[in-house]
Amino acid sequence: MFFVTGWRSALLINVTRLCKSASSEDTIFALSSGQGRCGVAVVRVSGPASVDALRSMAGLTRRLPAPRTALLRRLLHPHSKELLDRGLVLWFPGPHSFTGEDSVEFHIHGGPAVINGILQALGSLPRLRPAEAGEFTRRAFHAGKLDLTEVEGMGDLIHAETEAQRRQALRQMAGDLGQLYNDWSLQLKQSLAHVEAFIDFSEGDLIEDGVLYEVDVAVSQLRVEVEKHLSDERKGERLRSGVQVVIAGSTNVGKSSLFNILCQRPAAIVSPVAGTTRDVVETPLDIGGFPVLLSDTAGLRDTCDCVEREGVHRARQTVEQADLTLVVIDTAQLPQDLLMVPGLLSRYLKMVLPNRKDEQCLLVLNKRDLLPKSHIAVIQRVLQQNPGLPPLSILSCHNKEGLEDFLTLLQDRIKTLCGDPLASSPSLTQTRHRTHLQKCVDALAQYYQYRDTDLALAAEGLRSGLTSLGRITGKVGAEEILDVIFRDFCIGK
Amino acid sequence: MFDMSLARRLLVRQHFLSDCFVRAASNAARLKYDVVVVGGGHAGTEAAAAAARTGAETLLITQKIQTIGALSCNPSLGGVGKGQLVREVDALDGLMGRAGDRAGIHFSILNRSKGPAVWGPRAQIDRGCYREFIQSELLNMPRLTVIEGSVEDLLLSAADPEQPGKHKVTGVRMANGGGEILSGSIILTTGTFLSGSLFMGQTTSPGGRMGDPPSCAGLSHCLREVLGLKVGRLRTGTPPRLVKDTVDFSLTELHLPDSKPVPFSFVNKHTQCKPEEQLPCHLTYTTPGVDKVVRESLNVNSHIHQDTRGPRYCPSIESRVLRFPGRQHQVWLEPEGLTSDLVYPQGLSMTMPPELQLRLLREIPALRRVEIRMAGYGVQYDFVCPTQLFPWLQMKNVQGLFLAGQINGTTGYEEAAAQGLWAGVNAGRIALSLPPMSLSRTESYIGVLIDDLVGRGVTEPYRMFTSRAEFRTALRPDNADLRLTPRGFEEVGCVSWQRYQEAVRVSRGLGEALSALQSITLSSFQWREKLGHFSISETKSTLISGKEVLQYKDVSFDLLASAFPDILSPYLEFSERLKIEAVYQPHCEKQRQEMERMRKEESLALPQDIDYFSLPVSLSDEVREILDRARPSTLGAATRLPGITPAAIIHLLRFVTKVGVTTGEAAYMQVRGPKPDCWRGASVHERDREKATVVQS
Repeated sequence: MFFVTGWRSALLINVTRLCKSASSEDTIFALSSGQGRCGVAVVRVSGPASVDALRSMAGLTRRLPAPRTALLRRLLHPHSKELLDRGLVLWFPGPHSFTGEDSVEFHIHGGPAVINGILQALGSLPRLRPAEAGEFTRRAFHAGKLDLTEVEGMGDLIHAETEAQRRQALRQMAGDLGQLYNDWSLQLKQSLAHVEAFIDFSEGDLIEDGVLYEVDVAVSQLRVEVEKHLSDERKGERLRSGVQVVIAGSTNVGKSSLFNILCQRPAAIVSPVAGTTRDVVETPLDIGGFPVLLSDTAGLRDTCDCVEREGVHRARQTVEQADLTLVVIDTAQLPQDLLMVPGLLSRYLKMVLPNRKDEQCLLVLNKRDLLPKSHIAVIQRVLQQNPGLPPLSILSCHNKEGLEDFLTLLQDRIKTLCGDPLASSPSLTQTRHRTHLQKCVDALAQYYQYRDTDLALAAEGLRSGLTSLGRITGKVGAEEILDVIFRDFCIGK
Repeated sequence: MFDMSLARRLLVRQHFLSDCFVRAASNAARLKYDVVVVGGGHAGTEAAAAAARTGAETLLITQKIQTIGALSCNPSLGGVGKGQLVREVDALDGLMGRAGDRAGIHFSILNRSKGPAVWGPRAQIDRGCYREFIQSELLNMPRLTVIEGSVEDLLLSAADPEQPGKHKVTGVRMANGGGEILSGSIILTTGTFLSGSLFMGQTTSPGGRMGDPPSCAGLSHCLREVLGLKVGRLRTGTPPRLVKDTVDFSLTELHLPDSKPVPFSFVNKHTQCKPEEQLPCHLTYTTPGVDKVVRESLNVNSHIHQDTRGPRYCPSIESRVLRFPGRQHQVWLEPEGLTSDLVYPQGLSMTMPPELQLRLLREIPALRRVEIRMAGYGVQYDFVCPTQLFPWLQMKNVQGLFLAGQINGTTGYEEAAAQGLWAGVNAGRIALSLPPMSLSRTESYIGVLIDDLVGRGVTEPYRMFTSRAEFRTALRPDNADLRLTPRGFEEVGCVSWQRYQEAVRVSRGLGEALSALQSITLSSFQWREKLGHFSISETKSTLISGKEVLQYKDVSFDLLASAFPDILSPYLEFSERLKIEAVYQPHCEKQRQEMERMRKEESLALPQDIDYFSLPVSLSDEVREILDRARPSTLGAATRLPGITPAAIIHLLRFVTKVGVTTGEAAYMQVRGPKPDCWRGASVHERDREKATVVQS
């Protein structure tokens, strides 16, 4: 009996070892602490190459630190050997780590430049890539490291994380850069569809001659473009880090006045004419030590003026991408019957923020100087009894009354957002993009390597290139490829 | 050995038809079977044969024994994507591949120049011969009974509360007072016969195939009204059959078959047809006159005006002309058999009135004097939305009821056969109280096919393309035996000992050969000396293994074997396969991680009775709706649903059960560890060694 058990367990160990060596996954990394100016940032690495990352970044050529013990090291860029930071490193050999895999933590100074430097350095190491949403958790789950009640909490965490990433991505996508990535993805999808059509249908169907030559040209152009994009140091591109705060509301409620007060200079034109602001006006600010990108937007109204209509459209886009929206309303326009005020405010919020989430907005009732003080006090009392509304502030941009309270409220909110461990770091997003673009370029090279000998392997190159791009711009599925095929070719067999 | 048995079968061919009636009559008394298969098309025949192979007493009910194994539409088998399915069906010991080898009269590997992963084994088939082979196989199969008859209704009882589902089948009621036949596992493979209607010109008649009586309305009523299944409607069509003597082949392009026909089946070394006996195909093109007739026919062509979805890739000549006007379209003139006097015009499926069909055909120079034997027609039919199925092709709602083939919204013989086989295997297993099994997307096209069907459903008749398989480079036609045969024998129980032995012999041979290649290491200079000129990089300073050298374009295994005869010549029979393995291994290696992730997630089963709307986790209403509609069986299937977020997946982790009762896959993983090893030659060898150590200890 004992013999049998021994035999079984020996086999089991053998099998487990096989599983383990076979499932040698990528090594992933991510910033695990919040963005913004925090004192210490934590970057976490998990996977079989963690130990290599630790050795090369912390210059530990001979001995590794004792497991789970902090060690102060100079952190160097693995290639340029440039000093990135001095920080603590911790080594968690698997299975005694969060994910069950070999893991490393870097506790570094919290400035964006330092974080960015460390993340870029990790991204330059072989077999390391930025983590996808939820990836640490999934690994932990598969390793049996999470109990099921923890899973639920993790789900919420990842929801917030992906939500933050979505906003982050939207922001980047709205610009020229997003347009560029989308164009690339479209081109590559087209090329892949044409190769797939050639593979699945060319025998027995009239696939136009030269389909592959067109693909050759398109892919080579694409490869050159992406490579150029990657080699460009992207100096001109503003690092849009910090909290995106947007001022929005109807026309003539004092949005630009509020904007100017926060900038402490007349950055936006203010006039009594409705529809003065027509474009999005942005300025970087430091509020309570946190980096903020503040935007003033056109007043939301239906209009026949095409320039203003575009302004309204941009305003809506900006709001959609914002971390925090300051919804401004004119106090003097509130109804006389105070019981109707909460309902009106709810409708107003819905108009400005169709997908409102309370933690993402502050309500600003401007022009309190136009009403008697007693009336304001009554309004305040009514609104306090209405828990359905987001935090609000009643102020006057004209005589600065209530402004101090508002600034405190705003600062608290920004602090929460920055300290929020869920908000994605822009530098990580950038690192992720670079990684995927580089993978795309490598994959496209495979197309040429096999173009003449094995079209299946060549197409594989385009496929994985598209998958990499898809991680930035959104996934392209097999059905979409088939749609292009049937749109572009008459398949009749 | 095989040839001898074939010869014996040929001798008895004249007799077996009468023979089968005897069988049918003598067995009608038996009223209870483990598995009952309704329908004798490609799905039904594979289902019946597979169920019988698993060990279940099986009954096949068909309207006419004569039409068992009929090729209702095109006289051909395989092709790009479809050829892979034929090879996989064969690797699991199905009938289709061997039938193709027996009845093929024109073999060619499509995509020869495009890489072995997308090679498409294809053959023109002699219809009569194919039918005879399938019939003789089925009628001589142990544990399988075939009867003629029509099923009128399903017998139902209260569901087993231990299992998911609202209903439970207990048997079938035969039409015309044919009595009841009891069975706990029933496979419906009714093809286009479920509320089928035929269209030609402006006339419509009930039926699923011209010349055959329509199926009973009772079955359709039972599925829709009693079981409450979601049903949709699709359409398809077939071209007119032409009299061969009236075709002027001198005005067409001649297309010859491969001079060395490659068999579909892994157990056949040769095809029945000798290379020189093969028939050619001919290619011609439509003319502007064809476009004109199509436009004129529109007001008398009711099929074309229907909204029902037809396939985008196999459109009628009407839809092709309407969608891409002013173009020349290809028309393949295919032989219908060695001795047949008919020609099949591939690409000219049409539903206009017969007189217009003739006018249209005669607009093509080679068909100027053509005569039609049977006019083309359209078919519209009901299909059961396949998202209502488990990955083992059993209805989620009805215990014991399996569906396979066109009834699930697919098109094509190969797609039908693949589903039939897998439904048969599972119906047999359930009847024998074994857990059902599913095939992964990472191991087979059959897995891709079924996962697409049950995961996403269909909006047009579903056909296999290689582009649907994300792991196409691993799922090649050449290695289907290594991927599926061992599992088919060891776990599924649908593969014969002989076939298994052969697969083991091949995988061992490949493994040894690859190790031998790996063991030969020379410098690039030495390689050039050995092999003469080839484009190996001069600057490479490290030693290069024979396996690496074999990856080079100009290097064949035969060339290497001539340089190292002692080490390599024992493996010359695997020459082509070794070359493919060597080239593809590094790429499969790259995909392995992704495959493992997918397999891991497919091994996590989601309970089927889960109420997504009341789950106490934060999922958006949208996500809940998607999950409720699709009811994914595994976490892997959920991941592939459009609109499902990473956060939703993490939330679902809470509800998964790790060792699926539902997926044999999961149990497999536990015992075996990750599986891709089984089709990479070297690792197969390792696995054998692992087994050997087990035996020793």
